[in-house]
Amino acid sequence: MEIPYEVTPRRDTGLYNAKLGVWLFLASEVMLFGGLFSAYVFLRMGVQPGVDNPWPWGVSVHKNFVWLGAINTIVLIASSVGVVFAWVALKERNWRRYQIYMYFVVACAVIFMCIKSVEYNSKLTKHHGIKLVDNSVMEGVIKDKTDQVRFSGDKLTFSLQGAVPAVLSDFTDESFPAFKVTEGPEELVGNEIKSASEFKSWFAKGRRLAFEKLTEERKRYRGELASGKGNPTPVSVSSSVTLVSSAPFAVSGNPRKLIGHNETTMNYRDAVRVEGKLVSDDVMFEVHEVDLQLVVPTKQPESIVWSVINDKEAKKHFFDLKEKKYNELIAYYEKHGGVVPEAQLRGRYLNVQYVHVAAEGHGEEHGEAKHGEVHASEPKESAGGGESEGHHGPSRVIQVPRDQIKFMSNHGPRYGTYYAIYFTMTALHGLHVVGGALVLLFFAVFGKKLYLKNPEHLANRVEVGGLFWHFVDLIWIFLFPIMYLL
Amino acid sequence: MSAATAHEHSEAHGHDHHEHHDPFWKKYIFSTDHKVIGIQYGFTALLFLAFGFFLMMVMRWSIAYPDRAVPLLADWPWFQAWLDDEGKVTGDLYNMFGAMHGTIMVFLGIVPLAFGAFGNYVTPLQIGAPDMAFPRLNMASYWLYLLGGVLMFVSFFLPSGAAKAGWTNYSPLATTTDLHYGSLFWTGQTQWLVAMALLISSSLLGAVNFICTIINLRCKGMTWMRLPFFVWAMLVTGFLLLLAFPPLEVAAIMQLMDRLAGTSFFVPTGLNVSGMSFDAAGGGSPLLYQHLFWFLAHPEVYVLILPAIAIVAEIIPCNTRKPLWGYKTMVYAVMVLGFLAFIVWAHHMYITGMGPAVSTFFQTTTVLISVPSVILITSLLISMWGGSIRFNVPMLFATAFIPMFGIGGLTGLPLAFSLPDLHLHDTYYVIGHFHYVVAPGTIFALFAGIYHWYPKITGRMMSSRLGHLHFWPSLLFMNGIFAPMFFQGMSGFHRRAFDGGKAYEQISSQIFAEPNSFLANLAEMFHVIDADAPLRMIDLNLVTSGSAWLLAIFQVPFIVNLFISVFVGKKINRDNPWDATTLEWATPTPPPHGNFATEPVAYRGPYEYSVPGAPRDFTPQFETDPGLVAGAEHNSEPEEDLAVSHH
Amino acid sequence: MADASHDLSKTKKSYAAVGIALLVFTVVTVTIGLAPIFDMGPPGPDAMDFVLGLSVAAVKASLVALIFMHLNHEKGLIYKILLFTFLFFLGLMILTIFADTDPILEQFETLKTTRGWLMDKPR
Ligand code: HEM
Ligand SMILES: [Cu+2]
Repeated sequence: MEIPYEVTPRRDTGLYNAKLGVWLFLASEVMLFGGLFSAYVFLRMGVQPGVDNPWPWGVSVHKNFVWLGAINTIVLIASSVGVVFAWVALKERNWRRYQIYMYFVVACAVIFMCIKSVEYNSKLTKHHGIKLVDNSVMEGVIKDKTDQVRFSGDKLTFSLQGAVPAVLSDFTDESFPAFKVTEGPEELVGNEIKSASEFKSWFAKGRRLAFEKLTEERKRYRGELASGKGNPTPVSVSSSVTLVSSAPFAVSGNPRKLIGHNETTMNYRDAVRVEGKLVSDDVMFEVHEVDLQLVVPTKQPESIVWSVINDKEAKKHFFDLKEKKYNELIAYYEKHGGVVPEAQLRGRYLNVQYVHVAAEGHGEEHGEAKHGEVHASEPKESAGGGESEGHHGPSRVIQVPRDQIKFMSNHGPRYGTYYAIYFTMTALHGLHVVGGALVLLFFAVFGKKLYLKNPEHLANRVEVGGLFWHFVDLIWIFLFPIMYLL
Repeated sequence: MSAATAHEHSEAHGHDHHEHHDPFWKKYIFSTDHKVIGIQYGFTALLFLAFGFFLMMVMRWSIAYPDRAVPLLADWPWFQAWLDDEGKVTGDLYNMFGAMHGTIMVFLGIVPLAFGAFGNYVTPLQIGAPDMAFPRLNMASYWLYLLGGVLMFVSFFLPSGAAKAGWTNYSPLATTTDLHYGSLFWTGQTQWLVAMALLISSSLLGAVNFICTIINLRCKGMTWMRLPFFVWAMLVTGFLLLLAFPPLEVAAIMQLMDRLAGTSFFVPTGLNVSGMSFDAAGGGSPLLYQHLFWFLAHPEVYVLILPAIAIVAEIIPCNTRKPLWGYKTMVYAVMVLGFLAFIVWAHHMYITGMGPAVSTFFQTTTVLISVPSVILITSLLISMWGGSIRFNVPMLFATAFIPMFGIGGLTGLPLAFSLPDLHLHDTYYVIGHFHYVVAPGTIFALFAGIYHWYPKITGRMMSSRLGHLHFWPSLLFMNGIFAPMFFQGMSGFHRRAFDGGKAYEQISSQIFAEPNSFLANLAEMFHVIDADAPLRMIDLNLVTSGSAWLLAIFQVPFIVNLFISVFVGKKINRDNPWDATTLEWATPTPPPHGNFATEPVAYRGPYEYSVPGAPRDFTPQFETDPGLVAGAEHNSEPEEDLAVSHH
Repeated sequence: MADASHDLSKTKKSYAAVGIALLVFTVVTVTIGLAPIFDMGPPGPDAMDFVLGLSVAAVKASLVALIFMHLNHEKGLIYKILLFTFLFFLGLMILTIFADTDPILEQFETLKTTRGWLMDKPR
């Protein structure tokens, strides 16, 4: 028996199978994005003022990207129109036109994803933030991956019972130092390890060895227990090994994988210890903006951000701007009646200002002369470009001591809940775009056979593919305002 | 009469001939036939059930004998990493097995068996469809399920072991567990999320397929109110899966982001982990995870139970030879149940500090949802009233299902109210409550289903003697396991305690001694008010654990029966050995690819048993005129059958 | 259904019209988001912006759903499915948020938060 209603709709439901299926699938998609939208609202409403990072958060979250988002909206709308016209073309049995429309749709999808990646790239590589221990925040760019701890090691200590040490991923294949095992189970002492792959197989071997020994020891122990010996000799298996390299090797410790380091050791989360000499752990940072939303106003002038930046002009500039905007607000509210609401006093309008830390030689000593220049760096100037080019003159890269840092990150998903939900939702949506585009591309390229056999069947497929595509468009219609505008 | 009725075996084989050019792998492995997929689901799920059961037995050892080495296992290489020097279960191992027992039982055992296996095999047959609406999608959903299951299983062998944060996987515990491994992706905790995402995708595909099939592929004459109750339950279950799973998928994605990308969806500001401030931006909400999780997980319990009720609802009328009592009421009840299932989830979260207004709302809806559940169970009970019941093995399991599910349901009522829940939350009482629903409840119904449909699938009966040997001890030991849990729970015995409640012993002996405490009052009720009361509660551990191992032993008859009967079981001589009325019995045995020999038509409702004036005590949906088959009797011999089909 | 051939040119026109309407609404959305005249109340996003922004989005979405996704031609079944989906979606949104902002608890919350420092003058 054939499966009925594959092409023709069933009378009482008015639907052919695929259409019903896609609608059901879309219903579940509504719940999928529904979950995300509800997370958005939940997280946004749950922001505790003065405690959590405000929403939205960080320099130019919205402004620089609005145009990209708007263009993407238009691109998606155009593609939606393309799909329905492709469907009509099939209904009119016009294969050529159908194909053109479909290729147009796929092209739109490609453009959409390109624009998206421009946006992602800018957030991930060109915007960083550092939150200092008193919750003051500097926005700018971390230079040369200096968020990593630069370390020169010569000794590696770890346990054979765990997983492959994470420190491995800090080496490239070329930079892998030659190790010699100096301490550990006797079978292993003296082994030499020359490359990362060799290390892995050596580690597997060692791990097996350690477990075999453990098993044996435990057998003995349990045997002694069972034979009624009151105090059996405790199980002791040393699975710790020490590797020494002939020449010092450079490691750049990923701070997310470290639990601590000092002048001579670096401790990884997975209990791996690297010994040697700390090269530097200062973060080199180019400040664009200072954000004191999370610092109580009375404490702002003493915030440690000023000692880190160490530029009187920048500080003065910050508070001048703040004063100016405060007066603007006061004026606004006096005109409209009422007092300035707390949210306004707390918010980014007042407490986030661009600062310009003049480069060496333009710095504090000559502060007076450069005064005007500092003032010229108004936020508006950089709003369009997205990058910090609005600043005049070269910026000085400051050195941020690591013990002053509470949290640092690029404007990737880690940076806060806004970024988390922004990246998750747009990435999930992007996956839908890619998936949908692939399906439509398939219909366009390989549809001819089905078209010749049963054009109505192909039209149905395009219709349901289109349903999905419109849904993707529909999600974007909501994503655009909530992520970029509001 | 319809030619489909008494199809002969020869004909069935003849049908098979058309398929013979399909190679083996296409027919049995990458098959798109709903029946083969159903069987694949069934076997995989049974394997996982057994595995989940094994995990539980290890846990029960640790609870019963916290200071003794686990027998048999201590020398297995894998266990070296997880047992302590003396061969005792460590907390980590218990947590891992507990979390994976829950996950495997729910997502890899019961749901695939109930929905995947029975739903797949029976639904298209009962609605007279040649297959599911999207056979290839059906295959995809099985393979996704298998992939998810394999990932879950493989995660045990990672250095980190499998997930350890409970089957609920609450953040921030789940986010911060096992972060000290080199590769975060290859930790059990992360693999749990990945596997869940696969399982969820599989369920979603399955749900779309089921709903579509039921709505669009009903055969001629199969109007909505002629659908067997089983199909209705599958429809509602499909919708539950379709709409409730996505939020969990969201939660899984977000937790995955938290673990891998370092986001703060569920990480609150200022989180400290083992004394160190957790390196994340903060601002997230652990409560959000719980909301998203329970938005799925409450409907999920109905996914666990509705197919069970549905199976029982097929078996009871067939074996009482009476129509299902209140068919329409049951249909509406199941729809209301499905609807309400979506708005009760926060009753799992009373102790998170929800405000009184919200908690009132959820208490109300929770109590409301018990109404349709009671309607369903009562209807089943009344269906038995006054029938001449054939107590064959499926009927025994189906009958036992009712009181077992009843106990599970009634003990849920105290949990519906936030006040008693404050006391009972996270105690063994809760474990007892939901296990009564899913273990002697759902699992019994699933056994019933296996015994009931086995002849249709294989053409042979399962041994009734082994069936009895399976049923009675199972009934006894199921209760031996779970009944003590209520008492332990009420006296404050906490769940997820790997040492069998040593801490409880210390604390509660003080509390018991304190006059007028809740526990003291309770103890008085049970006449156990003396200093030994906590000890006695702990002794119950032995009852539970012993019953659990015995239960395991008495599954052997079932396993033997399942495999042996394929070869030596009594051959059935008709396609409708139970004299049932629904369409699946109209097919040849076993049903070939495409199911029906001729296009089936439903002429009447699904449960026309003992219709007054009818020639026999059953009038199948697929027969035009019952008068024509007047010769057919209950125990007709093969020769007679032949005669009938020539008729 | 709209695909009867004599309808097709009409269909095409309506699709084009919807496409243009969507573009116009996009411009409206951006304007609401950026242009100062639509920025009701003080600078920055506030409740009014949300209502405006989301209503425009809702109008756009219903245009897409009704015309592009042919909902205007479907029978009741899909509406029923979508209605339920929408109800549960609302439940998920509203109840979750409700649970977080319980009106009775809220009274205690206001007592808890310290507001004093916000009244300080900046600098
Ligand atoms: C029939 C035999 C079964 C027995 C003896 C059994 C026993 C247990 C035990 C002892 C626990 C651990 C309690 C604790 O330490 O907190 C547990 C937990 C659990 N079981 Fe079962 N179980 C059985 C079947 C099932 C089935 C069929 C399901 C599924 C639907 C299931 C789902 C769960 C869940 C979800 C948990 C909670 C896990 C957690 O704490 O995260 N069990 N079970
Ligand atoms: Cu629940």
